[in-house]
Amino acid sequence: MKPVSFIPRFLVTLVAVAIACFIGWQLWVYYMDSPWTRDGRVRADVVSLAPDVTGPVVKVFVQDNQSVQEGEPLFQVDPSRFNLALAQAKAALAQAKAAESKAHATMLNAEQNAARYAALSNSATSAISRDDASTQSLEAKAAYEASQAATAAAQADLGVAELNLTRSTVRSTVNGVVTNFSMKPGDYVSRGTPVMAIVDTDSLYVDGYFEETKLRHIQVGDKAKVQLLQGGKPILGHVQGFAAGIADHERIAAPTLLADVNPTFTWVRLAARIPVRIAIDHVPTGTHLVAGMTATVEIEPNHKDKQK
Amino acid sequence: MIGEINIYGVLFPPLLIWVGLALLLSTLIRRGVAAAGLYRFIWHRPLFDLCLLVMLTGLISLTANRFF
Repeated sequence: MKPVSFIPRFLVTLVAVAIACFIGWQLWVYYMDSPWTRDGRVRADVVSLAPDVTGPVVKVFVQDNQSVQEGEPLFQVDPSRFNLALAQAKAALAQAKAAESKAHATMLNAEQNAARYAALSNSATSAISRDDASTQSLEAKAAYEASQAATAAAQADLGVAELNLTRSTVRSTVNGVVTNFSMKPGDYVSRGTPVMAIVDTDSLYVDGYFEETKLRHIQVGDKAKVQLLQGGKPILGHVQGFAAGIADHERIAAPTLLADVNPTFTWVRLAARIPVRIAIDHVPTGTHLVAGMTATVEIEPNHKDKQK
Repeated sequence: MIGEINIYGVLFPPLLIWVGLALLLSTLIRRGVAAAGLYRFIWHRPLFDLCLLVMLTGLISLTANRFF
């Protein structure tokens, strides 16, 4: 074989270098510039449900991992005490109503007396007696008004008793799934202390933690493709919004009121991760979303905006 | 390509796998080229081999991205 001269050999190599540069550039753009992240999480709002009344649990209607609808009863706090309180409140109301009737009768009598005294001539009665009768009448009226207020208060107490009785059955406030739940009749629950977590399945969304360098390629409304770590068909969604702020690692809460900034050696810098919220539009059938799952999120940049 | 390649519980970024594949393929091609004596047309052999690896990686990766 005769040796090939320099020029063709150089040209062939040059073409190879040119193609490699072009393909390498494409790869770089795809992996480094395009907005995607392997750091995504499926998330959901979690209701930490606490009873509004204190007492022992008598019935548990749900079990761990059960789906519940909004308004579905979850468990019941012993209602006996609340039933008694209700009876008490009813009796108190009846008492208050009786007292009100009595005060009404007294008031009518006092008013009649005052009217009679007013009609009598000066020779038959004194101005003192007349004034006394009038004062008594006013006093009786005030007592009647006070008894009316007492009735209203008793009515309100009855309402509170009814509310407590209603609240003794704890209901779900969302459509969701009861998670990590163990409760047996006999457990004692306290008002305001959370006893169960309900994952709100209506609120499932994906948070993509994007490097700040990629953020300028993302806009609200852009389409997003979410690939769960478990594989399968991607979930489709769109960008709902960006986090407005993240915590600053370099700045520590100092005991004094002065800023305490870490003196970091910033030769190699790491891009901060900004949560971008992806609203889920379509979940492929058979895909079961669990809050906390890892996902890869890829944003399809809006090309129309790019051209502008 | 988005997603991962799962090898017995260890998840790899696909690019790593594509580079491995490209390395394997480029070794085969280099042997073929050498056997056919086509390196006569190449000015700078290591540079050409490097370009070959980049091209193969790119082709495999960008093709795979279309399909997955």
